Amino acid sequence: MKKRGRWGYVFVLPAALLFLLVYGIPLVTVFVTSLFDYRIFPDRFTFIGLENYCKLFFQDQAFWQAFFNTVVWLLLQCTVHVALGVLIALILAKRPRGWKTIRVCYMIPNIISASAVGMIFINFYNPEFGILNSLLRLAGLEHLQHNWLYDMSTAFPAVTVTWLLFAGYTTTLVLAEILSVPESIFEAARVDGATGVQMDVRITLPLIKNIIATSTVMAATYMLQMFVLLYVTTKGGPSGLTTNLPLYLYKTALLENNYGYANTMGVFIILIGIAIMTAINRAFGVGKGEE
Amino acid sequence: MNRTARWRRLAMQAILYLFLAAVVCVAVAPIVWVVLSSFKTNAEILNNALSFPTSFGLEGYRIALELAPLAKYFVNSLIVSGLSTVLNVLVLAMAAYAFARLEFRGKSLLYIILCTAMVIPMTSLMHPVYLVINRLHLYDTKTGLVLVYAALGLPISLMILRSFFLTVPKSLEEAAYVDGAGFVRTFAQIMLPVAKPALASAGVLQFLTAWNEFTYALVLTNSNNARTLPLSLGFFTSQFSYNYTAMFAAISIAVLPSILVFAIFQEQVVNSMVTGAVKE
Repeated sequence: MKKRGRWGYVFVLPAALLFLLVYGIPLVTVFVTSLFDYRIFPDRFTFIGLENYCKLFFQDQAFWQAFFNTVVWLLLQCTVHVALGVLIALILAKRPRGWKTIRVCYMIPNIISASAVGMIFINFYNPEFGILNSLLRLAGLEHLQHNWLYDMSTAFPAVTVTWLLFAGYTTTLVLAEILSVPESIFEAARVDGATGVQMDVRITLPLIKNIIATSTVMAATYMLQMFVLLYVTTKGGPSGLTTNLPLYLYKTALLENNYGYANTMGVFIILIGIAIMTAINRAFGVGKGEE
Repeated sequence: MNRTARWRRLAMQAILYLFLAAVVCVAVAPIVWVVLSSFKTNAEILNNALSFPTSFGLEGYRIALELAPLAKYFVNSLIVSGLSTVLNVLVLAMAAYAFARLEFRGKSLLYIILCTAMVIPMTSLMHPVYLVINRLHLYDTKTGLVLVYAALGLPISLMILRSFFLTVPKSLEEAAYVDGAGFVRTFAQIMLPVAKPALASAGVLQFLTAWNEFTYALVLTNSNNARTLPLSLGFFTSQFSYNYTAMFAAISIAVLPSILVFAIFQEQVVNSMVTGAVKE
């Protein structure tokens, strides 16, 4: 048995290499290069300490706008999106007619590529032939028509909708958790005279607290990484109104080739991620002597 | 009294089903609209966006294939997704098996480190990952994408496969060892075949991840040689493109394979998502 233990290193090695290439080395790189003035036009690589961070926090308005948008979207995703997902799961758990099909349908926007979702919404919002304006015309509400994604007044909510309502992932996770609760628990409550909504609030929700916490963390992580839907639809416009941190990072790195500064943002994103995860887990009391 | 209660229940039911219908509609209607529109002519689309196509010609698909190298991108996507899935599943089956069965120093620390990959916001590492891939001379190659994609699914595949191996009774391997089989052979000939369902679960999710990935394809490639299907849609948003039929066809081409894979492997996808989320 002891001899076999050595095979452990051999078997873990390929996975460890993969981890090093795509997570390990890049993580070290992102921290180190955030301390450098590092760009290619003009070609520079000089140590400047925390100067990038000072510039980011005290001089860069575009950064604060991107940060503010990221926070608003994060909060919306952790509340509205997760709540919607949980609500639908609670309804489907009562097994109404066609509940399995509904679950599958609701998952579809989550399993197709985000770039396709973005393209679908570009067309959905198209001022001439999009569904939204066509329906408004049909209803005789021409004055409500907009160029939804590119109009200053509607761009933010319009782009938010492209992800906020699609909580199929949360629904699937929560539903699986509810269905794994032994039926006897619900029966006991029913005998005690609890009605449907009371059961959901008093019994089901506390039982699935952990999976809701997990879903919230996932929603937050998803939002913190949000890039594709913004890149494909508004590209952060009009005038930075729908820019978030990853998109600003992308522009700084790949369009301005200001790598050190972009990686400073990278570090910042990673730190927010850790902070949020800790906060959410604490809020739900996950990992506190329960298990 | 009894009657009002019944009415109230009926009304509740009606609201419930209306709500569920709205949910399905929001999720599926835009996609159905896109697929239907891919069969309409440009004039039909501009004339009435909400009408049904008058015929189901494939003209839009033909033009889409002419306007953009869709076939090339489709093949690239297949190769990259396929190879990254094989690589991911094989490498992580090995690691997961070691974590589930063997005792070696630093095991739990290694496992925790590999799992942290789950919570790293990957868009923050765009430039460093580009540096690594470039240093390996893999920029703008399918190999580079395969490596990165295999790593993207690392934590979730690891969790799925490890939790599976933990459920396999040890007696299975012990019998093999008694028969004189070595460690590697036992893994390859006994454990891998037993693990087929878990390999399929991890594999389907990995395939979908790779098939749909956009950000790293954008950052790590710049020629038709390595670019994948999600990037092809950019051809149709440029202001010079006025062929809406072709654009709708291109979106359909990008979307339908994912839906097909999901429809066939629904069970696996759902199972693996649940396993991946419920850590430990």
